[in-house]
Parts: sequence; structure tokens; C-alpha cells
Amino acid sequence: MTVPRWLDVLDATIGVCSTHRRPDLAAPLERKRAALAERTVRVVVVGQQNQGKSQLVNALVEAKVCGVGDHVTTPAPVVIGHASTPTAALVQAEPDRGPRRGPSRRRRVGVEDVANRTSVGLNAVGAGELVQAEVGIPRPLLAEGLVLVDTPAADHARVLDVVAEADAVLLVSAATHELSTAELEIVERVHRLCPTIALVLTKIDIAPRWRRVADRNRARLAAAGIAADVFPVSATLRLTAPGARDQALATESGFGDLTAYLWELAARPEALVARSVRAMATAALDQLADPLRRSAVVPVAGTADAIARWHAAQQRLELLRRDAVSWQTTLTDDITDLMADIEFDLRDRTRRILREVDRYFDGADPQQDWPDFADWLDSKLSEAAGTNLDWLMDRFDWIGGRIRRDRLAYEAPAALTDGEGLRAIADRFAPVEATGYPERPTMERFTPSQKLFVGLRGSYGGILMFGLATSLAGWPLINAVSLGAGALFAAKTVHDESGARLRRRQATAKAAAQRHVDDFFLSVSKETKDLVRRWHRSARDQIEHTATHLRDGIVADAASAKQVVDEGAAEQQQRTARISAQLEQLARIQSAVAALAPSPAARHRLPA
Amino acid sequence: MSELLSRVGALLARATEVYRHDPRAAGWLGRHTAALAGPLRIAVVGPPGAGASTLISALVGEAVAPLPDCPMWTTWYVAGSTPSATAHLADSPPRRLPAERRVGRPWLDLSGLTGGPVEKLTLEWPVRGLRGMALIDLAPDVAADPRRAAAEADAVIHLTAGPTAADPRTLRALGDSPIAATGLSTVVALGRADEAGGGRIDALTVAKQLARQHRRDPRMWTLCQDVVAVSGLLGLAGRTLSEDEVAALGAIALAPRAELDVHLLSADRFTAADFPLQQPVRLRRLLLDRLGLFGLRLCTTLIRQGFTSHAALCAQLVARSGLVELRDAITRSLTDRADVLRARTALHALHALLRNEPADPGLAAELDRVVAGAHEFTELRLLAALHTGQVELPDEITEEAHRLLGGAGSTTAERLGLPDDTDPAELRAVAAGQLRRWQWFAADDEWTNSSRRAADVVVRSCSTLLAADVRW
Repeated sequence: MTVPRWLDVLDATIGVCSTHRRPDLAAPLERKRAALAERTVRVVVVGQQNQGKSQLVNALVEAKVCGVGDHVTTPAPVVIGHASTPTAALVQAEPDRGPRRGPSRRRRVGVEDVANRTSVGLNAVGAGELVQAEVGIPRPLLAEGLVLVDTPAADHARVLDVVAEADAVLLVSAATHELSTAELEIVERVHRLCPTIALVLTKIDIAPRWRRVADRNRARLAAAGIAADVFPVSATLRLTAPGARDQALATESGFGDLTAYLWELAARPEALVARSVRAMATAALDQLADPLRRSAVVPVAGTADAIARWHAAQQRLELLRRDAVSWQTTLTDDITDLMADIEFDLRDRTRRILREVDRYFDGADPQQDWPDFADWLDSKLSEAAGTNLDWLMDRFDWIGGRIRRDRLAYEAPAALTDGEGLRAIADRFAPVEATGYPERPTMERFTPSQKLFVGLRGSYGGILMFGLATSLAGWPLINAVSLGAGALFAAKTVHDESGARLRRRQATAKAAAQRHVDDFFLSVSKETKDLVRRWHRSARDQIEHTATHLRDGIVADAASAKQVVDEGAAEQQQRTARISAQLEQLARIQSAVAALAPSPAARHRLPA
Repeated sequence: MSELLSRVGALLARATEVYRHDPRAAGWLGRHTAALAGPLRIAVVGPPGAGASTLISALVGEAVAPLPDCPMWTTWYVAGSTPSATAHLADSPPRRLPAERRVGRPWLDLSGLTGGPVEKLTLEWPVRGLRGMALIDLAPDVAADPRRAAAEADAVIHLTAGPTAADPRTLRALGDSPIAATGLSTVVALGRADEAGGGRIDALTVAKQLARQHRRDPRMWTLCQDVVAVSGLLGLAGRTLSEDEVAALGAIALAPRAELDVHLLSADRFTAADFPLQQPVRLRRLLLDRLGLFGLRLCTTLIRQGFTSHAALCAQLVARSGLVELRDAITRSLTDRADVLRARTALHALHALLRNEPADPGLAAELDRVVAGAHEFTELRLLAALHTGQVELPDEITEEAHRLLGGAGSTTAERLGLPDDTDPAELRAVAAGQLRRWQWFAADDEWTNSSRRAADVVVRSCSTLLAADVRW
């Protein structure tokens, strides 16, 4: 006998589950494989509480196997298979090991005991000791290889485990109401595990409108995209039927169609197996593929960090460029202001000195006072130059401090525009020496001979004037009066002349002082400007240097980040290749799985 | 109006004064002030198809719900002198609609109803069954949201989809609602009791046993006040079956037993063409709709047992449907405590308002004072604490404390566990005896603090009983 195709697919799926270290996925598949090896068709009956699941099973096997009633509910699955003579066993968990999947023990019981043991009070708690009940009874349908499993209410924890091992599922819902949202959720969950589903509509005997409910349910299932046959049945009618031997009643119970459906299932185990293997394998493969796909987009550890670092460095670089430009602009602006301010200051100071000079020479005779005046002017100018220079230094400090503050954000090395270099420059600065001591201007002197000559010239007019006047009186031209007047006129002329000469000397001295101050101003402002320019240049260079230094640091950082990113990308590429290889493998198995069986389609039969 | 209710009324009046400049808050307070004076508002809540409308009709005693042509609106059923209906629209004043009784059912003229969506419809119906309460059939979208349902009602009848569907887990979802927070204002009705046991003849008995089981389940104690199995369908049939219908049932019951049983096996068979009696299919369908298959089985059995008259049969149906028990439960757990429940809703509403839009700290303090000072709330809190086991009393007197606190009914006689017609003098004597007894318990050194505090509360309840007795 050839190995069936589904077995290969199942083994491949189990293999790939093991390779991906997912024993949790492999385990149910292995259980399924073991179950399939038994060559039986497991039909699991699922539904909410008190929809008539157990009653349906009882009616199907025409025996009271499962406990039924409104007071009771089924605590554990009841597995009903074929046996030539009725047998039954209870599988119970070792009490101290917990109810789930722990070591369990089997205990043989009578078939009639099972119904009692599988019905517990609705609100009973702690009834989980029973893991499973197994019943074997002689029925033709069961002999064909069909195994019926009655389950607890659908919200019970173990139901989905049981469904995972199913070849087909009968979803039970009473015809007294339409499928509720909760029931539709159950159908959808079950459908993912086992695609062969039929909806059994029970209790149609007491539901006058069961046909409408059946139609609505069909529509709801179709809307949910689930292909499922709907079988309206009445277990009550069926269980009444054998006593009444009423063929019509048996037909009305709807069990004919349901049994036919089950026979069909039992007759085509291969198709069912393929279908359920397909569903389970697809689910398992999806669960394998999901994390792979997710991990494919997760970046290599550290890469994200490096990328962030790289971006940050880029950003810092851009910021630095902007800031460096702004530092330079600030510096240039400050220097321009400084130049104007300093020049004005110097001009102001020299003007005030000149005004004082004017006032001084309005009274003083430069002839005698020039040496004192020269000392005074020299000291005044030195003082003005010194104050101006001090102020300049203060301004330098202030500008330097401002730029330093701006740069603080960059933790730049200090030792830039500190005072030392500037002080050195300033110390060499000697504007007064450059201009020299105020030179004494050449001033005309008023010598005694000149005075004599001037006096004589002035006396001439007086002698003549008064001599002529007195001659009228018969006096000689030269007489005492005319001589006296001549002397008076001489004195006056000498006095006038010496006053005029003093004013001329003063004007000369003023002009000389003015010239000296101008010279001083010119040379000092030249020196100052040179100094400012030198300072500007050095500050500019230092800023440039800082910016370069900072830029180098950032660029190095960015480069290292970039390297990490590049390495990460390479690694990512490798991993993507690995994952896509794995996904491809999964896809191969998937396509093999898909080729196993076509999707089931409901036949939408209606009982007569 | 009780003292508590007047205190709450005064509090609401003060709040209205504080919030007079806020139209929304004022409207909200106005609604609650009006509700305080109105009947107890009881919402019937259940999953779609559980039969809330049928149950309301059964409680009213006439087939009033659902209103014809009123799709999916929240409907209030209140007692009135003449049939009348008022539509409350979302964005225009309430509008009166022409209404009258036609063939035992309400008929409304909706033609004049234009404008915004209908928020709720109030049907006034001249019927005794509605005295003292307003039954609310919630629109499906409101019923799905416990908080909105809570804003509408003082109390809730939680109707389950089937007799076995009352699972504490599903009920716990109700706990989200502030009014049902401790189950104080909830009665659980196990719906469709006639479908228990696959509609066998003992279905109602089985359903009642189930209700008893639930009632005894400690997990249900915090979720509701009572659990009752009820079949709205049979109850409504019992209240509304006509003489003709009873006659038709009588004819069916007289058919040969063997032949009849075959046709009562399923709904299809009952309406099948080969029915032994000359009754039109339409009549049989009508009877099936009115009674269900179980109802038909029950009626024929009852008629064979001798309940042949219309009155006797209907009385039997009502008695067996569980409607009487439900009414008792409503009276005992809800309407008898109407004042407390209404006060509670109003205080909840005020609390919510103060939390969302704090305005006056004095008002919040006043609210706290009213809540803390109301002995009724203290009693309810202690009852809940006793149920949940937060407070423990010796077993032999827990039941007594429960009764004295009003857990089994709030009249003096019920609290003392005496028949209703007991002589007042005897009531006084028993109450005084209880007072002394519990004073002694409250002073017992061997009890824990919490137990002694609980005993103190019982003492206060006893003295309130005596004081009330004096007032009467």
C-alpha cells in the first residue's frame, strides 16, 4: 500500500515545526497523526450549554449513553466508538496532579454508569477530575469507523483541544433561537481547526418557526464565510420513534439526513483526513510564518540605535554650521560697533582736551607757560589713550565672553579668546610715544631794540602833533609838552604792539596744540583700529578653530554610527535571506497542503 | 414620601439652584427630580429574542408590548386613566400621539410624528398591573450598554435567554452598571421556562427547580435579589386567552388521547393537515403562537384534569407560568423598597454630576452626609456584606439579621417574621424583644468588632420599627 499523500505533508509540517523549535505546534499535529493512524472518523459535537448536545448523541446511537437534563451539564468529553459488546471506561486524573494532561488512570465501568458520571449539577465546581469517558457499543454506523465525541459546553477549556483532533464537527444550536454572536464566534474558532462543519438545529419539535430560524442561520453562516450544511433535527421525536415504530416520525425527526451525512463522512475518511490535515497544517504553518514575517522587519539589534546616533550627528552638524556662521556674524557686528564706539570715544576725549587748551591759552602766554602746558597736554592725552584702551579691553572681554557663552552648548575646549594674547598686544601699544612730546612752536619775541624802535616810531607822531599845536603859541616845535606827549605815545604804541604779539603767540600755540592732538588722534585711532583688527582676526580664527574641532568630533561620531548601520544592513540582508528561505520552505509545504483537498462546500440540502 | 426621599429631594433642589446656569446639568437634575416623584422605573433587560416584550405584556396583563410600528424605540409603559402616548424627541418638545385600544392591543397614530429621532415613547395604559411602577422596554442599543440602561431605570429585571442560561459569569457583566453594582436593584428572571426539558410536561417544574438552585447559589447573592423562573408566553396567554380560544382548546383536549398525543409531538404535527379535528390550520397556528407546544400540552392536560372553565384554566396558566412569583419578587425586592431605590438612583446621578462638573464643595459634603446618614443604605450595605461574607454573624442568627434588615421584605411584619395580619400590640412586643436581644449581641465582648457593628445596625433597624409603630 502506498503511503498516502497527506501523511507526507503532515510529517513535513511536523518536521518544520520541530526545526523551528515549536513543540507546542508539533504536539497536536503528532496527536492528530496518531489519531489518523487509527483509521477512524472523529465527529465532535460542539455547542453551548443546554442546546441538546448529549441528547443528540444519545439519539444518534439510540442509547442513553450521555447524561441529559436541564439540571446537568457534561463535565468532560465522552468518546463513543464501536465495540462488539458494550464496554465503558472512565479516564480520571490522579487527584494530586491536576486534571489536565497529567498521568491518568482508566477504570472500567458499566455503560449505564457513564450517563450518571457525565452529568453534574450546573453550578458544580471542581468536577474536573474526570478527564474523559470512553464508551464502546455495537452500532453499524460506529462499526464503519465513526467515533462520536460529546463535549462540555463550548466555553469549557478543553473543548478546543478536542476539536483539534476532530475530522468533522457538528455544531449544535437549538431551533428556538437564531445563532447568537457567541455561537458564531465558536463556529469561527472551530472552523480554523476543523473545516468540516455541519450545523445541527435541535429541538425543532417545540420550535414552530424552526424553518425561518434555519434560513436565517444559513444566511448568517454564509455571511461569515463558513460553508456548513444545516440539519434541523428533533432528538425527542427520534427517541420516541423506535417505540412507536413510526416511519413518518423518524423522517420528521430529521435524523435520516443527519445519519446519511455521517455515513457519508464515515465512507470517505481519506477526503476528511486530507481536509482536516489541510486545516491543521495550514494553521500550524501560519503560526510558524507569522513570527518569521514579523522578525524579518525587526532591525538588527543596535542598528536602530546607530541610525538614531547618525541622524543625531547629522542634525548636530547642521546646527553647528548654522551656529558657527552666527558666531562670526555676531563677532563682525560687534567689532563694527566697537570700532565706531572706540573712535567716537577717542574723538570725544581729544575734543574735550582741545577745548581746555583753548581756554588755557586765552589767558596764558605760551612764551612762558609752554613747558608746563606741554607736560599737562602729554599727561592728558596719555590718560585719554589709556582709558580708551581699557574700555577697548573691557569690550573685548565682553564680546569674547558672549561668544564663549554661545559655544558652551558645544562643550568646546576653553582657552580661546582669553586676555593673555591681547594684553601682550596692548602692552606693545604706545600711542603717545608714537606721537611724541608736544613740540614747542616757533613764536616771535618782542626784543628791547624792537620795543625801542616801535616806541620811537610812536613818539614821533606825538611830538609832531603837540609841537605844531604849541608852535601856534610861539613855542618851539620841540618843547616840554611835545616831548611829554611823544613819550606817552611811545609807551602806548609799545604796549599795543606787545598785546598784539601775545595774541599772535597764543594763536600759534593753539594751532600747535591742535596739530599735536590731531596727530595724536590719528596715530592712536590707527593703533586702536589695528589692535581691534588683530583681535578680530584672532577671535575669528579661534572661532573657526573651535567649529572645526567640534565638526571633526561630530563627523567622527557620525562615521562610526554609519559603520554600525552599514554592518547592520549587511547582517539584516543576511537574515532577510535566511528568513525568506525559511518562508519559502513553509510556502512549499503550504502549497503541498493546499493541494491535498479542495475547500469543502456545503450542499445546502433541505430535508423533505 | 419617606424622610429619606424628602432629604434627597431637598438636596436635588439645592443642586438645581447651584447648577441653574448650566442648562445641561439643570436638565439632568430636572429629569431626576421628576423621576423622584414618579413611579419606580424598572427596565426589563435581556438578550435579543429572550422575550422582554412578552414578559412586559404578561406583567401588564395585556398584549401591549411590543408597540406596533414602533421600531426599536425605548418604550415606557406606565399606568394612566386613558390610553395615551407621548413621543420624546431628541431635539424638539415631547409630542402627544393619538392612541387607543383596538382589539385589546394599543394602537398609535404615528403619521404626525416628524422631526428628529425618537428617544423614548411613553405609553399610558389604563391597567392595574402597572400601578406604582413604570416598565421599560429598552431599545436594543441601549440595552446593550449597561451604563445607559442604568441611567434610564431605578431597577432591573434581568431576563435570561433560557431557563439554564443564568450563568453567574454572564450575570456578572451586569455588575458594571452602577445601579446593579451590588445586585440590590436586580431581579433575575429565567426566561422561556416552558422550553426546559425539551418542552416536556414537567418543564415549568424543572425550571422552578433550576431557579431554586440558582437562588441557593452563594455566587448569585451579590448579583441579584431573587431568581425566578418565568414563562412570559404562558403568563401572557393566561392573562389574555379569549373564551373562544379556551373553547377551541377544550375541543382539542377532548379528542382521543392516543391520537392527540401523536399530534402534540411536534409543532409541525400540530399544524399538519391530517389533524383529527375539524379546526382550520389558521386557528391551530394562532393557538401554537399563543401557547407554544408546551402550552398546548399543558392546556390539554389541565382541561382533562378538570380545569375546563376559562377562569380556571387561565388561573392555572398564570400560576404555573411563574408570573406570580415574579410579581412577588418585584414587590418584595423592588417596589416595597421603591423609595430607597429611587433615592439611590438620584444620589448616583448627583454623584456623577458632581464628579464630572464639580461646582460647590458644600454640595458634595451634603451628598456625603445624606448617603452616610440614611439608615436604609446602611441596611442595604450590611445585607450585601452579609451575603458576600464580608461580615460574619453566628450562623443561627444570620437569617434573623437578614430578615430584620429587610432582606425578606420591608414591612414591619415581614421584618419580624410574623404574618401580615398580626396584631400591632404583638408586633410592638416582638420588636421590643428583638431590640433588647440585639442590644445584648451588640455588647457581646466575644464578638468581633465588625460583627458588633453589624449588630448595632440591626438594633437601629429594630428601634426604627418601634418608632414607626408609634407613629402609626
